[in-house]
Amino acid sequence: MAKTLSLDNLHRLVDALLQEGVRVVGPKRTGTLTVYAPLTRGEELELNELPRRSAKETFFPPCETILSFEKRDGRTTVSDPDLDRLPETVLIGVRPCDAAAPGILDAVFSWDYDDPFFLERRKRTTIIGIACTSSDDACFCTAVGLTPDARQGSDLFLVPVEGGGFAVEALDAKGSALKERHAALFTAGGNTVPLPLAEPKVEPLDLEKIRAWLDGNFEHPLWKEIADRCAGCGACAFLCPACHCFDIVDEGGEGSGCRRKHWDACGFGKFTMHASAHNPRDVQPQRYRNRIMHKFKYYRDKFGQTLCTGCGRCIRWCPVGIDIKAVLDEINKKS
Amino acid sequence: MCIPDKNIYKPYLATIESVVDETPDIRTLRLVFQDEAVRDSFTFRAGQFAEYSAFGFGESTFCIASAPTRSGYIECCFRAVGRVTEALRRLEVGETVGVRGPYGNSFPIEQFFGRNLVFVAGGIALPPLRTLIWQCLDWRDRFGDITIVYGARTESDLVYKHELAEWQGRGDVRLVKTVDPGGNGPNWDGQVGFVPTVLEQAAPSAENTIALVCGPPVMIKFTLPVLEKLGFADEAIYTTLENRMKCGLGKCGRCNVGNVYVCKDGPVFTAAQVKAMPQEF
Repeated sequence: MAKTLSLDNLHRLVDALLQEGVRVVGPKRTGTLTVYAPLTRGEELELNELPRRSAKETFFPPCETILSFEKRDGRTTVSDPDLDRLPETVLIGVRPCDAAAPGILDAVFSWDYDDPFFLERRKRTTIIGIACTSSDDACFCTAVGLTPDARQGSDLFLVPVEGGGFAVEALDAKGSALKERHAALFTAGGNTVPLPLAEPKVEPLDLEKIRAWLDGNFEHPLWKEIADRCAGCGACAFLCPACHCFDIVDEGGEGSGCRRKHWDACGFGKFTMHASAHNPRDVQPQRYRNRIMHKFKYYRDKFGQTLCTGCGRCIRWCPVGIDIKAVLDEINKKS
Repeated sequence: MCIPDKNIYKPYLATIESVVDETPDIRTLRLVFQDEAVRDSFTFRAGQFAEYSAFGFGESTFCIASAPTRSGYIECCFRAVGRVTEALRRLEVGETVGVRGPYGNSFPIEQFFGRNLVFVAGGIALPPLRTLIWQCLDWRDRFGDITIVYGARTESDLVYKHELAEWQGRGDVRLVKTVDPGGNGPNWDGQVGFVPTVLEQAAPSAENTIALVCGPPVMIKFTLPVLEKLGFADEAIYTTLENRMKCGLGKCGRCNVGNVYVCKDGPVFTAAQVKAMPQEF
């Protein structure tokens, strides 16, 4: 029989995990924003609002130390961060658009060379997804192949049901293990009639047709039309659950310091600039073109997946109102 | 090949064994790995690159400029032009740098066996060919005629000046060196003219010949039509692309030309491959 979980018991689950020493990350109100952040108690969970930033930072922090170095008596030593100390984490209350993204990023972080920072965090994290019952004008998950109740990427999945609480579904060994460990909180039976799902007001896109159009239109007036006004602020990339570009920089001094990976964005003017000042992507439309190409062509060419989950954050928060969905619709129309 | 480390971003430590100032702002570092196991196991192929770090300043991407046939050390050659390269230049013999690599593809040297080779390089772009030149000279009997056309703006901008003299003195290499008009001093014994023009005059035969071209974009642009005129097919012309890189491992997302990642699919490409790419380099 299907298991259900009341909202109170969901809060208790968070508290129980915290008590076990597990790091629990979920949507939480901090100041004026809701963001995915470490919880200190279950009641902090804020499930009614899509967090401002995606959940990718749980696996790929905005800034992380990849090594430290020290020069003493003319001898340089380099040491690794201790990845064994990364905490077991439960990421809870994750929308399908955010839950799907880390699995998409596995491809780039593990082809040929395994990025241990991303992959170790993936290994140690259990994702509890939750179906979406509300959407706004910017949501377009259904246009890029996901749905408001897509299970992709979740280990355990919650579907809000009539009368409060959630129907619970374990999707893999990680999810089952978590459920079994806290079996007392899950009730057999109960009302399992799901609340109506969100209905983003979009039509599905033909992603293969879009890829084919991009293949033949590296040069096209569309790029200038769309992106001449792009401010190059990088907000779209930083808010995106699937953007993964990064920079590597040294901090500290010659004597001692550390090397860090930082989020970076292909919209930034210096992203591709050579030391000679030659820049292969000299103007903003070329940078925006790379953003679209990377998400809807290059990543599909390389890994067979789309680097976009339709969360709509880049539309909601673009300071100059660039709407990626409108761009895709335009391309869809042309192709 | 090298010893795998779980932390793919962690460099090996290497000691600067010697320093050569090739020009007022271009320097060669000869590096020896500090860990004996790395020293013994580090191998690479001509054309591959590495990430070199000056700790406290960051990493820069250069090709491995020494030959795979010369073991015990590697060399890099760079122009001091930014924060990291200025810091690398300040380091002295005996000091430590970081090296990650080798990365990327390489020249398919086995396919060049039995063929004539024409190397065409400009300015600081000789190092990515110099690794292959020395490998070919070390395996001299496996190749036919070897021609090297190398030019720079002025005499002082030529790198590896001692090696140019050595190649000039060898009976089994044809060296054509040139400087741009006005770049020659009173004792200059080479040609005067731009690389593409001098290449056309030198007119190496395209028959059973591979051309290897590295230089600034403008040199490449005018050299390819000359090679075509001389009868070289695009598949018989090799070059290396350089784009800004950070990881060198196909993850950080900045060196791509269209869907081609220079760090993993390159840096070595044929002219046919380059012509099929969008103009984004």
